[in-house]
Formats: sequence, C-alpha cells, structure tokens
Amino acid sequence: MESGSPSHRLRFGIGIGAGAAVAILLGHFLLGGALSNLAEQRETRQGIVTLRALSDLVSRTADGDGLRKAVTEFQKAYPELKSIRVVLLEGASLEASTDPADTGEWAAPRQLSRDEKKNEKPVFDLMQKIRGTVEANREEKTAKEELEIGRLADGSGFSLAGPLEKNGEVTGLVEIKRSSAAAATRPGWITTLLYIAVPILLLVGLSFGVGNKQIPLAICAAVLLIGTIWGYGVQSRSKINREGLAASDAVASTAKTGGERVQSILQGLGIQAEPALNPASWDSDLARRPRAVLTPDLKVDPAKAMSAFAGVGTAVTRATILLIILGVAIALFFGMGWAELFARTLRVHRTAYYYVTPAMVGMIILVFFPFAYGITLSFTDYNIYTTGKPLTEIFNGFQNYVEILTDFQIAKRSADGSWAFNYYNFYWTFFFTIVWTISNVTIGVTLGLILALVLNTKTLALKPIYRVLLVLPWAVPNYITALVWRGMFHQQYGVVNQAIQMFGGSPVSWSDTPFTSFLTALATNGWLSFPFMMVVSLGALQSIPADLYEAARVDGATRWQQFTSITLPSLKPALVPAIILSVVWTFNMFNIIYLVTAGQPAGSTEILITQAYKFAFEKYRYGYAAAYSTVIFGILLVYGVFQNRITKASEGI
Amino acid sequence: MKRSLTSILGLAAALVFPASAALAQAPAAPAAKEVIVWHAYRAEEKTAFEKVVAEYNKAAAGKGIKVTTLAVPYDAFADKISAAVPRGKGPDIFIYAQDRLGGWIAAGNTVEPIDFYLDKATKDRYIPTTLEAMTYRKQIFGLPLNYKVITLIYNKKLVTAPPKTSKELVKLAKSLTNKSAGRFGLAYAYSDFYYHACLMNGFGGGVFDAEFKPTLNRKENVKSLDLLLKWIDKEEILPAEPSSALITSLFNEGKAAMVFSGPWFLGEIAKGVDYGLAMLPTLNEADDKPMRPWMTVEGVYVAAPSKNKEAAFDFVKYVTDKPAGVIMALEGRQTPANKFVYEDSKVGADSILKAFRQQVDVAIPMPNLPEMTMVWSPATTAMNSIVKKSAKPKAAMAQAQQSVEKDIAGLRKK
Amino acid sequence: MKDKAGHDELPHLPLHIFLIIFVLIATYPILWVVTIALSGKQSLALATLPDRIAVTEERLVQNIPGLNDEEATAIVEALENAKWIDERGILTLKPERDKVAPLLPAELSKYAEPLHKDLMVCLAEPSTLDRLRAITPWPETFSLENFRAVFRDQPFGRWIINSAVIATATTILGVFLACTAGYAFSRFSFPGRRAGLMSFLVSQMFPGTLMLVPLYIIVVQWLQLGSSRIGLTLIYATTSIPFCVWMLKGYFDTIPKELEEAALIDGASPGVIFWRIVLPLAKPAVAVTALFSFMTGWNEFIQAATFMDKEELYTAPVGLRFFVGGFSQQWGYFSAGAIIVSIPIVILFLFLQKYLVSGLTAGSVKG
Repeated sequence: MESGSPSHRLRFGIGIGAGAAVAILLGHFLLGGALSNLAEQRETRQGIVTLRALSDLVSRTADGDGLRKAVTEFQKAYPELKSIRVVLLEGASLEASTDPADTGEWAAPRQLSRDEKKNEKPVFDLMQKIRGTVEANREEKTAKEELEIGRLADGSGFSLAGPLEKNGEVTGLVEIKRSSAAAATRPGWITTLLYIAVPILLLVGLSFGVGNKQIPLAICAAVLLIGTIWGYGVQSRSKINREGLAASDAVASTAKTGGERVQSILQGLGIQAEPALNPASWDSDLARRPRAVLTPDLKVDPAKAMSAFAGVGTAVTRATILLIILGVAIALFFGMGWAELFARTLRVHRTAYYYVTPAMVGMIILVFFPFAYGITLSFTDYNIYTTGKPLTEIFNGFQNYVEILTDFQIAKRSADGSWAFNYYNFYWTFFFTIVWTISNVTIGVTLGLILALVLNTKTLALKPIYRVLLVLPWAVPNYITALVWRGMFHQQYGVVNQAIQMFGGSPVSWSDTPFTSFLTALATNGWLSFPFMMVVSLGALQSIPADLYEAARVDGATRWQQFTSITLPSLKPALVPAIILSVVWTFNMFNIIYLVTAGQPAGSTEILITQAYKFAFEKYRYGYAAAYSTVIFGILLVYGVFQNRITKASEGI
Repeated sequence: MKRSLTSILGLAAALVFPASAALAQAPAAPAAKEVIVWHAYRAEEKTAFEKVVAEYNKAAAGKGIKVTTLAVPYDAFADKISAAVPRGKGPDIFIYAQDRLGGWIAAGNTVEPIDFYLDKATKDRYIPTTLEAMTYRKQIFGLPLNYKVITLIYNKKLVTAPPKTSKELVKLAKSLTNKSAGRFGLAYAYSDFYYHACLMNGFGGGVFDAEFKPTLNRKENVKSLDLLLKWIDKEEILPAEPSSALITSLFNEGKAAMVFSGPWFLGEIAKGVDYGLAMLPTLNEADDKPMRPWMTVEGVYVAAPSKNKEAAFDFVKYVTDKPAGVIMALEGRQTPANKFVYEDSKVGADSILKAFRQQVDVAIPMPNLPEMTMVWSPATTAMNSIVKKSAKPKAAMAQAQQSVEKDIAGLRKK
Repeated sequence: MKDKAGHDELPHLPLHIFLIIFVLIATYPILWVVTIALSGKQSLALATLPDRIAVTEERLVQNIPGLNDEEATAIVEALENAKWIDERGILTLKPERDKVAPLLPAELSKYAEPLHKDLMVCLAEPSTLDRLRAITPWPETFSLENFRAVFRDQPFGRWIINSAVIATATTILGVFLACTAGYAFSRFSFPGRRAGLMSFLVSQMFPGTLMLVPLYIIVVQWLQLGSSRIGLTLIYATTSIPFCVWMLKGYFDTIPKELEEAALIDGASPGVIFWRIVLPLAKPAVAVTALFSFMTGWNEFIQAATFMDKEELYTAPVGLRFFVGGFSQQWGYFSAGAIIVSIPIVILFLFLQKYLVSGLTAGSVKG
C-alpha cells in the first residue's frame, strides 16, 4: 500500500500471532470448561446412582428403626457421603439422618425445626416441590426434573435430593451430601503454546518463499490458521470423548458395587429384594429417565455412550468454526493494515467522534444492550417454565421465526363446519399494521403541515392562542383522552352517534365491524398525533428564508408553485426524519389500540406490537415474543433503509 | 432571556444531583429487621392497611421488626414484581390477587411456599375457598387477606324485594326496562368474561378441568351463553356495549335498577343513591343452582429472595388475623378472608359485609394457573362475537377452545 | 394583501374559520375531560339524554279536559303503584293503549284514552335540542372536589415536582447531547457517519414494551441506579435523543455553511462557532426538541413505576394511575390530575413558542 508503512511480513506476523493466540487461548479455556464440566457430570451421575440405590433401599424398609438402620449401614458402605437425610411428608419429620449436626437433642426422628439456626424450611419446601413435580410428570406426561442438585456452601461437594416413594406415592425425600473428589484433567499448556507458535513459525518460513506480497501472505496466514485451529478442535474433541467414555465406565462400576452393597444391607435386615434390584436403571437423568447407557448386566454400551456425546461433538465443531472465523479476522485486521487505518481514522476525525460519542454511549448501554438481549432471546424457547435454564439449553434456532412467518392459516374452520376469517393470522395483522400506519401518518402529517402553514401566515391575528389550543391534544395524558374518544364512539351513549342522530342519521355500532372499529382508533390517534407534526413543521418552516419567496414572486410563480418548489423541498431535511420516526412510532403504537379497540372485533384490529405483547405477557412465551419483536424490527429496518435511500435524508448537504 | 434560561438549567441540575445523592445514602443504615411490603391499595383501603401496619409495628417493636409499606399502582404492579423480585431487589412481602400466582411460581424465585410455617389452627381461620385460591399444586404460597366477589346490587327506590331466582329477575327487570329511554332493569358488563363467569359457573361450567386442561367449549358454558343471549335479545333487559364506566353511570342516574358487580362498585355509587345488596339469584334454567361468581383473593405473599422470611411471615400472619381484619373491614371497606372477622359485632351488623360474606359461600376461586392469562383474550373475542351476533355460542366457544389449546401447546412444548 | 415584508397572504377570514373549526375538534375531547374533572363525580362522561317529561298532577290537570286535582292524584298514584312511573314521575315503560284502562280506578277509566295520549307525549323522542345538550361538554353541577382530592389523598404536589425535575434534567441532557451529535452529523464527514445516524433511527424500531426486564437488569443491577432520579433521567434522555438528533441534524443542514466558514477565517474555534453562531440560528429546532424531550420525561408511566421504590420518588403519571388501576376507577380524580399535569406543558409551550417561530428570517443572518 502506501510507502513508509511497516512491511506486509511484519503486519501478517503480528496478525497471525494475535489471531492464533486469541483463538487458541479461547479454545484452551473452552476445553478446560468442557472437561471440568464432564468431571462434574461424572460425579453427578455417580451421585445419582448412589442416591437412587439409597432410595431403592429405603423404600423397601419399613419406616422407623428399620429405615434408620438401613441408612446407617448405607452410610458405612459409602465413606464419600458426608451425610444422608430421610424426611417424611407426614408430620414433616426427619426420619433418619447421619448428619453430625443431627445428634443429641437434634437426633432423628424429630419434626423439622423452625429454629433460626437450623432453618430446615428449605428441606421441607424441596420435598414439597419434588412431590409436586413427580405428580405433575405422572399426570401430564411431562419430564421435568424430579431430582434436585445443589452445590454445598463451602464448595467441598454437592447435595442431591430425590423422592422417596412407597406404593407409587411420594411419601418423603431422600437427600445425600457427597464430597467432590476427582479434579478434572486440565488441558496442557505446552500443547496450547505449541499450537500458537507453530503457525507463526510456519508463516515466517513461508514468507521467504512468498515474499513481501499482501494477497499471497493473507492466503497463507488464513490457511495456516484454519489448519491449526481445526487441528486443535479435533484434538479437543477426542479428548472429550475419551473422558466421556471413562465417565460411563466409572458410573458402571458405581452401579455394580451399589447393587451389591444394597443387596447385602437388605440381607442383613432380613428383607427379600422383591422385585429384584435393577442397578442399571439407577443411571438416570434428573427427571429419573434411564440413560440406557448401561446394559442390564452393568456393561457400558459403547454406541449408546458415544451417542450421548453427539451433542458435545457438534458443539465443539461449532465452537471451532467460530474460533477460526475470529482468528482469521484478527489476522486480517492487522495483516491488511486495517488496524492502522482504524487508528488513523479515529485520530483524524476526533472532533466529530467527541461530539457523537456521549449520545452514542448512552444509546449503546440503555438501548442496544436490551436490544441484543431481545434478539438473543428470539433464538430460544424462553418461556415461563424455562426461566431458570441457561440460554444454550433452550436454544432453538430459527424455530420461532419459522413458526411466525409460516402462519398461513388465513381461515379457520369452526366447530359447526363454517369457515371464519382468522384475523390473528400474522399476515392479516401485518397488513392491518401497514394500513394503520399509512393512514395515521398521512392524516397526522397532512393536518400538521396544513395547520403549520396557516399558522405561519405572518400577520394573522391570535396566532399564539391558536397554537396553544392546537397543541393541547399532545399535552393532556393520552390515557384519559383515548378513553374519552372510545366513550365518544359508544353505540348508545356516545357523542358521535348523538350527533349523527341530530342530523337525522341512524346510530352506528362502531365496534361491530373491523372497518368502523379501525376508524375509531384512527380518529383517536390522528387527533393525538397532529399537534406533534404541527410543531415540527412550524419549526422547520422557520428555516426558509423569506427572500426565496420574494424571488419566486418576481419570477411570477403561483402560490402552488411556490409551495411545491420552495416550501416542500426546504422542509424536507427536518420533516423527513420526523415522518420516518412517526411511521416507526405509529407502527409500534401499542397504547391506542390497546385502549380504544383492544383488537376487537375478533382480533381484526390487532397490530403486530399488540400481538407481540400478548405472546409475552398473556402466553408467557418470551422467546417467541422476542422473535415477533425482531420481525417487527426487521420490517421497520427494511422500511427505514428503503425510505432513506429514496429521500437521502442521511446524505446531508 | 438567555440568562434566565441558563439559571433555570442550573437550578434544575442542582435539584437533581444532590437530591438523588442524599437519597442514595438513606437506606445505608437499616433498622434491625426491616420488612418491606408492596401493595396496590389506595384511599381508605390504604389508610386502613397502614393503620394495621402501625399497630403491628407497635406490637412487634419488642421483636425488632419494623414493617414499611410502598403503594404501587395496580397497572404497574405485576410487571414490577416480575422485574424486581427474582433479582432480589424487591420487597419482603407483596399483596396481589391470585390470578398471577401460578405464573410467578412457574417463573421461580418469586413467591415463597409457606406450608412449613402453617399449623392447622392458622389454616382453619380462613374461608376454605380463599385458602384454596392460594394453593398451587397442593402447596400453599400465601395467606388470603381479602376477597372480592360479584353480587347483586340494586337501587332501593326501584327495587323493593330483590329477586331470588332468575325467573323473578327477568320479570322484575322487564318491568323496569324502557329501552328507548335508556333505562334498564339489569345492567352488568356481561360481555366481560369475568362477569359472565357468574352464569357460566352457575351452570356448572368452567375454564379448566381437574387435569388443568382447558374446557372452554363444554356444553354448560354454551348453555350459560344461550341464557345470556335470551336475556339480551328476547327479554331485552340489558343495555348494549356495557362497559364498566357505562354501568356506573346508569346506576348512579337511576337508569339501571340492578347491577351485578363487586365491592369496588360501591365506591363508585354516587351519594344519595340508596342501594342494597343481595345474593345473586338462583338459575331456574340450571336446576335452581345458584349463580356462582368468580372470586379474586388478595393474597399476602412472602417474596422468595427475602432475607427476613420468619419476620415477614410473622407480619403475614398478623395481617390476616381477626383484629387486623376487623380494621380493614370497617375502615377500609374490604371483605376479609378470615372468617372469624365476621363474628365481630360491628362487622356482623354491617349489611354490606354480610352480603358479600354470604355470596362468597357459592363463589369459585378464579383459577391461579399460569395458563389462565391465555384464556382472557380468546374468551373476550368469543364473548364479543356472541354478543354482536357474528357467531353462535357453540362455534365461538369452540374457536376460543382451539386457540387456548394452541397457546398452551406452544408453551408446554417440552 | 401585502404586509411590511412584502408577503402576499391568503385572506384572513377563511383562515380564522378554518383554525376555529380545528381548535374545536382539538379541544372537544379535552373539554369532556374538564367536564368530568369539574363534575365532582367519578364516572366517565356520557352523552345522556334528558329524562322524559315527568307525569305530574299539574300536567294531567292541564292536558286532560275535565280532570280535577283529586282525580289527577289518584291517577298518578295508580301509575306509581303499577310501576309505570318511577318516584320522579318518569315513565319507565311504554304505555300500551289497552292496558291503561284496567289500571285506573273504575270511576276514572273514562280518562283512559286522553291519558294514554298524554303518556305517549311524555315518551316522545328526544329533540335536537336535547341531543345538543347531551353532546355539549358541560357539567350538571360544578365542584372543585376532584381537584382537592387529588392533592389531599397523596403527596401529589411532591410528585409533580419530581416529574418537573426529571423532565427538566431529561430536556437539558437530551437536547445537549443531541445538539452536539446532530451538529457532528450535519457538518463533519467521517467514517461511520451514516451508520451512526442510522443507528439512532434503528434504536426506535425495536418494540420497547418488551424491554422492561433487560432495562431493569442494566439500570438497577449493573448501574445501581434503581430508585434514582439520575437513572430515570438517563433512560428518558436516551429515549428522546434519536428524534432530537435527527431533527437537529436536519435543521443544521439548512443553515448556510458560509457563516461558519467566515467565522473560521476570523479565527473562531469550532466550539465557539457551534455555540455562538449555529445554535442561536437553530432555535426553532431546539425548541421542538426541548418540548419533545420534556414530554418524554413528563408523561412516562411504566418505567417510573418500576424503577422507583420509594413513594416520595414517584412521578406525577405514577400518582395519576393510582386512581384508575384494577377494579375501581375514579375518573373524576384522574381527569382533574390529568388537567393539572397538562398545565406545565402548556406553560412550557407558551415559553418556547417564541423560539419556535424565530428563525433564519429573523434578519441578522441574510447572506
């Protein structure tokens, strides 16, 4: 490029270094996260097997001493358990406990305590919650989590709680606290550093062959980075798979020893294991659905164990691709000299940036952040039942968008076989929103502009009074004026129908048909919006120098010619943004529709925003509502760009 | 002019910044155990509630508990709770009707279950159905404070003996109706599903079955709508487009002899109108079963992230006890859910409170499932199209049922 | 017609007529609000027709030949007993010819025919005048009770001051930031200018109703600005900035560049040029944006109610909504309050309107 700038070699050297470092280091931490996640999962699975072995044991004993004895024996057999507690729903009693805190006056059996230091309410609530979930799952054929996992406050392990069932009824809660033993294998730093160093060295080597040429260097850097990062990804994946299979092996052995121990405890208590124990089923998820990784004879089924990792595999692939894009982008940013260009631009135009930045920062924090959050939600199945879950778990891609945009059900067949137009259909709502927007803005702008022109007459008397009176609809809170308007359209007691009858007409049922209902909302919103347009136009009219008109008059232009050739073009810079914005605002004018027509009749006067609101607050589908909002946003964005291109409003002078 | 403008700006800036700085420091030194309560009460309800709080603060000073209250406008209440409470920024206690309860429970970390604190004696204090309204999947999440039910309110000048049966109602209403003069024997917001529920439940209809499945299209619901249509079209005893503002005006002007409405309506009755309350009539069309209005119950809930749950519950128990209930009944004109309140001599002698107490015995708690919010919009659409004759009851309710089923399926996909 | 500056103008009379018609339309619903506020009652206004002509003894004596006072009393009593007329003598149902006679005591049945005729008169259709009265927003009785009640039950005065402080701060912040940004977008050409300008527009496109929770997280949890006037001011300012930026940018575009170039040659700094030359010329646009920003902060309800956790920090719109939430709705109080909160806006507009109509044409700037 320009002479005097550092050589392409140096730039690409820095670029590939930065790209590889960022991408591989990120990969390193991701892998570390995944491995410790796996270790945690493995312990959880082992914990679940232990808990279910325990519940299986306890549910076969009679309440009271037999139960306590079984629990004591179980604790002896499992040194890694810090404590076991069994709580019964009936009487909220702590039936058995091996917790060192539950000795002396606190020894089981006793009622759960409200004592401030003990505070056993959470245990009770947990028991209730689990009972509720088990019953709900049974009744509604859902698979919500019946086991509850929690971290111990001191970080030394975790607790697991599950239902205690007898004869198919939940009678209580079994809870274990288990210490964490195994630390996760960490990814090696040497490997990571090697992965960063190799592409840099290779590029240095290659650059002697290629020379100080930009494009070939760029290609080399890109290829090297892709290769390296992909390699790192492949290695990570195999490592994860290895760990995963090892986890299944560990779980199998836990289940096996668990089965033997429970069997021997039962024998010690003189209880027949009837029906026979099935340790393979103990390896389940939190909804107590068997994972089916273990065969009945407690061998690991490798195919099933591997298929459990299919999701992890695609996640790794996805992460690898993202890292490649990131790495290559960084390399090119430096290598192509964009970094320098960027810094120079900032320097040269710093005055402009100083002026713009404060407003921009506010917008980014308070407007665009919530925005980004909304758009992220739109790709998930976030709803009232999934609020606690991480977004990755409820990610559902474009499903919401597909559901919205493929809503082609224009007509509905009702029970008696007749067809009715389905006004809740997305495309009708969209169409209506457009009609609503265009008609409103047209009315608002036309009235506002005409009034402004009239009020701009130089020698007209009483102008200040007219101006104030005309701005009143904007000044009074629209919550009440909108409702007054609605009242004015009441069929029997409304002012409008009284006036119609005064002139001999017959009263109209305004809310009966989509069209008349639309008219009521239109009248209200037109009335509410013209003052704003009037004020904007008045302000804009002041920018027209009087000499322009004088010159035009000298040339013999008629009043209309003056209007079209002087007034309108001069108004454009200030008026076009106001029009664009009022289109946007009217498109999303929630209040008026909500207060005046409430979407009636039959949803025909819903607009997109009122529908989005319903999905969020009536149907509790936040993700879907976010997608709906994003669709609205997309529509308006297309409009904005289109309008901007036509009017060149942002082109400036 | 310029100078005055800048001085205004300076003044305003001076007002904003130091003032807010001072306020930000205020909560730094809290009392021993501060329990914050959010409620949506206003006017005399607020005064009575604050009186109860003051008495509690006096009584509980020894325990080191101090209750402070914040009134939040009803229209913002639910949103504010949903935004603040799960993030640990909300109150320790809040008071709201049960219709949002299920939603908050499903969303989690909002409402604290309180079974653990409850003994039998406490549970037995309440009118059973009001406690039922606080129960979600067999767990109790709040204690009922006040309930609201619709009953029959009549103008004593126009109606001497309130009707006991639907036949009597129609007969009386017909004699008091003069449509062209804008006078009606009966007026209520019948196209509002909440009001229509009196008829619907009277016929044994309902919105959800025992397994929480929507049942808008059940035949009892359709029958109740047929009766409503008969009242509108054949008997012509009801006004058109009955908004609640219209009902109030009609009643105040003596143009509606009877209305079906709740305690909120009493505050809107103009001075000088002599009114009486009576049970909603029984339905001859439904084997003489009573009309059964929906009951909304204001529950007092402990917020799940509260740090002072025991102290909070202490107040919850106090405010739903008899002495507090008597104050709220007599001074706040509310209808407490604590049944012992009605044994108080002054409360017992109050004909209005007595009327609501009677009516509540046949009332049904409005469902507190999260899915309930999905019912309103389709039900309103159905009601409107039925009343406007653009659809037959059966078809309209089938349509609504379809729509609710679809929404529930969309929510419970997994 | 030519004024001093040499404009030729439309004749004024039609303009006045046009304006008066529009003023009537613009103020009519507001007059209803005033009527509700002054009625001392709580119901939303209705255009109710007057009652029928009352059936009184005097009337009957006058209209039915041969009827004496006692007989008239007996007839009225009979009508009342039959619930044909209410306590005020107003007919409550349509009299049917064949049912009038049996109603009357036997000795009076001879009056059945003329009585029926007169009852029909009492039931006549409302006249045009009646209807005119019905649609005239004028309270039957005047009372300032609603206005008193607004201040009596709650610290409404304090809430208005809060609103004023927040709206003023919003205006200052919003207009200031929008002026600088708008000027940069108008005068400088820099990379990202178009994107920046578009981003302000785009910010208005995402529906705001659903953004309450994320905004709550940012303002209350991250910025720790819950229950703070600063927090609310920032939110309102960012709400109003996009329009202000575009409005000002558009207006700056119309101000001739030559003025600034001349000042630049005279050695003025960009800051001086902006504050001393450009901004005074843009008064009309600044007035519009100031009004807009003020309104944004003044009338907002849901965010104020959500972010403020202390009663003494509420704003006027929050206070107003106490009257109409839930089941019970006090429209009288609400109307009175709505009128009170509209007054500052009107005053602000009165103050701003001289700037609104002062522009490039003001003289000094020709050239």
